[in-house]
Amino acid sequence: MLQCIFLLSDSGEVMLEKQLTGHRVDRSICAWFWEQSLSQPDSFKVLPVIASPTHYLFQIVREGITFLACTQVEMQPLMGIEFLCRVADVLSDYLGGLNEDVIKDNFVIVYELLDEMIDNGFPLTTEPNILRDMIAPPNIVSKMLSVVTGNTSNVSDTLPGATSSCVPWRTTQLKHANNDVYVNLVEEMDAIINSDGALVKCEIFGVVEVNSHLSGIPDLTLSFANPSILNDVQFHPCVRFRPWESEKVLSFVPPDGLFKLMSYRVKKLRNTPIYVKPQMSSESGTCRLSVMVGIRNDPGKAVDSLVVQFQLPHCVSSANLTANHGTVNILADKTCSWSIGRIPKDKAPQMSGTLVLEDGVEQLQVKPTFRVGFKIMGVALSGLKINKLDLKNLPTPAHKGFRAQTEAGQYEVRS
Amino acid sequence: MVPPAQSQRSPSPSQPSGKGEVSDLKMQLRQLAGSRAPGTDDSKRDLFKKVISYMTIGIDVSSVFSEMVMCSATSDIVLKKMCYLYVGNYAKYNPDLALLTINFLQRDCKDEDPMIRGLALRSLGSLRVPNLVEYLVGPLGAGLKDGNSYVRMVAAVGVLKLYHISASTCFDADFPALLKHLLLNDPDAQVVANCLSALQEIWGQEASSSEEAAREREALISKPIIYYLLNRIKEFSEWAQCTVLELVSKYAPPDSNEIFDIMNLLEDRLQHANGAVVLATIKLFLQLTLSMTDVHQQVYERIKAPLLTLVSSGSPEQSYAVLSHLHLLVMRAPMLFASDYKHLYCQYNEPFYVKKLKLEMLTAVANESNTYEIVTELCEYAANVDIPIARESIRAVGKIALEQYDVNAIVDRLLQFLEMEKDYVTAETLVLVKDLLRKYPQWSHDCIAVIGNISSNNVQEPKAKAALIWMLGEYAQDMQDAPYALEGLIDDWEDETSPEVRLHLLTAVMKCFFRRPPETQKALGSALAAGLADMHQDVHDRALFYYRLLQHNISVANSVVNPTKQAVSVFADTQSSEIKDRIFDEFNSLSVLYQKPCYMFTDKEHQGPFAFSEELGNLSIGVDDQRVEANEEDLLLSTTRKEDSLPQQTQGALLVSLDQNEPAAAHAQQTNSVIDDLFGLGLSSSPSPSSLLKLNAKAVLDPTTFQQKWRQLPVSTSQEGSISPQGVAAMTTPQALVRHMQVHYIHCIASGGQAPNFKLFFFAQKADEPSNFLVECIINTSTSKAHIKIKADDESASQAFSALFQSALSKFGMA
Repeated sequence: MLQCIFLLSDSGEVMLEKQLTGHRVDRSICAWFWEQSLSQPDSFKVLPVIASPTHYLFQIVREGITFLACTQVEMQPLMGIEFLCRVADVLSDYLGGLNEDVIKDNFVIVYELLDEMIDNGFPLTTEPNILRDMIAPPNIVSKMLSVVTGNTSNVSDTLPGATSSCVPWRTTQLKHANNDVYVNLVEEMDAIINSDGALVKCEIFGVVEVNSHLSGIPDLTLSFANPSILNDVQFHPCVRFRPWESEKVLSFVPPDGLFKLMSYRVKKLRNTPIYVKPQMSSESGTCRLSVMVGIRNDPGKAVDSLVVQFQLPHCVSSANLTANHGTVNILADKTCSWSIGRIPKDKAPQMSGTLVLEDGVEQLQVKPTFRVGFKIMGVALSGLKINKLDLKNLPTPAHKGFRAQTEAGQYEVRS
Repeated sequence: MVPPAQSQRSPSPSQPSGKGEVSDLKMQLRQLAGSRAPGTDDSKRDLFKKVISYMTIGIDVSSVFSEMVMCSATSDIVLKKMCYLYVGNYAKYNPDLALLTINFLQRDCKDEDPMIRGLALRSLGSLRVPNLVEYLVGPLGAGLKDGNSYVRMVAAVGVLKLYHISASTCFDADFPALLKHLLLNDPDAQVVANCLSALQEIWGQEASSSEEAAREREALISKPIIYYLLNRIKEFSEWAQCTVLELVSKYAPPDSNEIFDIMNLLEDRLQHANGAVVLATIKLFLQLTLSMTDVHQQVYERIKAPLLTLVSSGSPEQSYAVLSHLHLLVMRAPMLFASDYKHLYCQYNEPFYVKKLKLEMLTAVANESNTYEIVTELCEYAANVDIPIARESIRAVGKIALEQYDVNAIVDRLLQFLEMEKDYVTAETLVLVKDLLRKYPQWSHDCIAVIGNISSNNVQEPKAKAALIWMLGEYAQDMQDAPYALEGLIDDWEDETSPEVRLHLLTAVMKCFFRRPPETQKALGSALAAGLADMHQDVHDRALFYYRLLQHNISVANSVVNPTKQAVSVFADTQSSEIKDRIFDEFNSLSVLYQKPCYMFTDKEHQGPFAFSEELGNLSIGVDDQRVEANEEDLLLSTTRKEDSLPQQTQGALLVSLDQNEPAAAHAQQTNSVIDDLFGLGLSSSPSPSSLLKLNAKAVLDPTTFQQKWRQLPVSTSQEGSISPQGVAAMTTPQALVRHMQVHYIHCIASGGQAPNFKLFFFAQKADEPSNFLVECIINTSTSKAHIKIKADDESASQAFSALFQSALSKFGMA
């Protein structure tokens, strides 16, 4: 049971405070918290759940904004953390992003939202579709409307139908001029490649995103050509469990708009689409470094937005690195970032140069880890294939679309 | 938002100081209050917004309260919402003015729009002004019977708010019964969920004072209600599902068919997108199958995949919470996770706290088949940029080595670490090599060759230095220049800041002396001289001790300093298995994240509305004491380890006792369950009231069972007793009384408090049958009064026991 929620700006200022129960939580807790997080070298390192002298604090940080919740009683920790994540998601959805200004400009809406999302410490409605029906988001259209018509209320006059419908994530009377539904496979590849080039771990975490604009109460069935490769799955509440259990098909009545239908994990993949080969040799105070990048297993589509990043070890005093393709930048925090973009057809990109070590350091002892980012449009590297999508219960035929993409998640190469 | 907050904030130049602006606002609001001109609402809205933004940044705007209320007669819902927010914040400090708002809130509660009805009701409940509760009862009653589920949902929570303001009003209006009716009959799941949360809290808090409430609370976890909720589980929102699952985990199904039914029904919850639901389900499954070992294992297998997915799917914050739970499970059953070790590999940019958990888990899951790969992975981290992680991973390698898998290869790796020539790597490795040698003396040959090459000048950390010195002393005969290395260190005695190192130095030089006397004699002399002149008491004492020992008899001294040592078989664990079990019982709670059972971190004063908090809080003190003792034992152990001068049997005995720890705890639990069974039989055969009560001198009861019983049993006797003045005098610490009562076969399970207030929990057992008496005794030494509450398995005997307890208490301090 949460007692209070605070929103703090990136300078530790309290932007918003929502007391939830009769036990008031004093603001001074925020000052205490801020001191704690300042005492850590990196705010990222503060534990998500910490104990203050008087309260237990949950905190998450999104776009520089700290969402802080307090409780004094034992509770389910994930309930607190998940709820804060949900608040952050809903706010950024409503306000079109999260930052200090946008929250200060719209704090009335934030209060209204929090009021519906949690009462007396118990989470209530967190489904974005329903909230949208209760409290209209502040968009340009409604601003224009209000100027023209003089009606400035952003609260609908009637209660959302969904609160009383049997499909709580969907409003009952939806009408769209163009009926369409898009299914998008978004995959992230996590991999660790050892210093000797061996693949230590390679795994894909994927999400089936659906963007649905369909009238009425449509009933959808999505099936895969190879569901057996899925290692573990998680569903949106709209997915019916029995059909999945018996036939491995997803049967559901979709919420309106964009949502995550399913997330899945595919483990023990044997191949990565690209290779990154770092080589280092140090001698009398300097270290020669070369990194080669290229296609290992052609995914069939272009590998795009390729970036290789690594942290220069502390003992490096200066670095002189050049690449035959793309640009190399060394940032103030000693992060070296090599943006390659798309891999050229004719040559293999290579970065090379020397690192000058501090006085007295002969050999580079610390081995940096190279983090790799890339994006491949049009292919799901896990190999998951959508078989078909059936639409039922629709007044008019709808347009269906499918897409796929793979990005690098935690993709790291050790040297 | 609270007025006092303002004073604590330093005024920053960017913020308005408040005073002037607030009075301006007051003026403007007053002008608008009576106006009916078109467009008034818009200007009101701007002003309201300003007021609330001041309130948000912590400026006290309570002075415009009456103006705000005057302006609030409006049909504009946004204005209303802002006004509700404002009023909710300041009503507590302006109870008289708050009365003004009641009127329009009550009117809004009858509005035809359900949204407004709901909002007004919510705000009415949030006023929290005790003398206004009478105005709340009517709208709440109407709200609970409202045709719209939104209003009923708000009303259900409203009842809880009312309860916290005035419990008696809440009961007088018979709201709990109404809630229960809604709980069982409302078509809307969210209403049901809110009723459940409210009832849980109300009965939970009342249960300690009223037996009826305790019964009602038990009724919530009765079969019909549990089944009713489970059958509707899919209708509930994800959050409500968590609440229901938590409730169900308290329910004990009578037979295994029911357990399987519940698990089948809820299996798909493991696939829910919300991690909180998944974790609540996992907890339920684990709790349900605790008594079925094979099914319990299958549950582990089943929950593995969802847990690992949760770890990789969420934000770092979520992963951490899930990882903590995974950590708990891995520590309980490492072998079940042995094949998933790759999931526990650390990624480069994970925060330290995540990496640390992962390292601990990697250490735990290591077995014959995966050790090679895990150690290879750990060695990668040792070269990591992140120094704390490098240290942790070296320690992890050492721990795995102590587990006896593939020691050969690991020793090689450790020795390679020494060649990396990084001071922190060397330091950590030295400590480990020392521990390894104590466990596997047979490796000494390989290690010594490498250790001998390390110059003590390169080792700065006290722990590492101490380890190196220990090895120099222990293996003096194998290391060529051991005496000279020690001599060099003794020359720098003055610069050595750590007493630990100096202590080790003394012992090492003694050992070395007995092995290579001619070479060490000079060093020993200067070490003893330096030690005797040392400012540190322990160092001084040890030097003196060695000096006298040498004077007394050289051969005795040799046998004290250099006894034949047995290899250490098991190192003491930092956390007892009992505590680990306790944390497991609190799965899916903050305990897991803190890695402590909740009694160790939830402070009694702050436990808020939860029942039994008092008992838990107090029990904690007792267990804490035990913990302190355990720690002392640890300390003793570690000093004996350092000294190496204790005769070996003592060391052996200590080790044995540690070994037995785990089975003993398990055994205790078993016996307890047996006792429970017997007790069940005992009741049915109507025990005869014994006029002469005999107590069991060796009664055993573990804190968990005590707590359970304390919760379940009704109070059979409750009375005031007095303590003799001598007793008051002797009552400087609770321990004095504890010892006294023990003589009378009444054992203390927890005690705490400071003068003049002490609180103790005792238990006693009948000599002839396993029937327990539980006592809560609150002593106030300033009034010489003791308040005694007795709960008994066998109520008929409680009077006899009470008399016995009183007489024992009155004798306190007489002897």
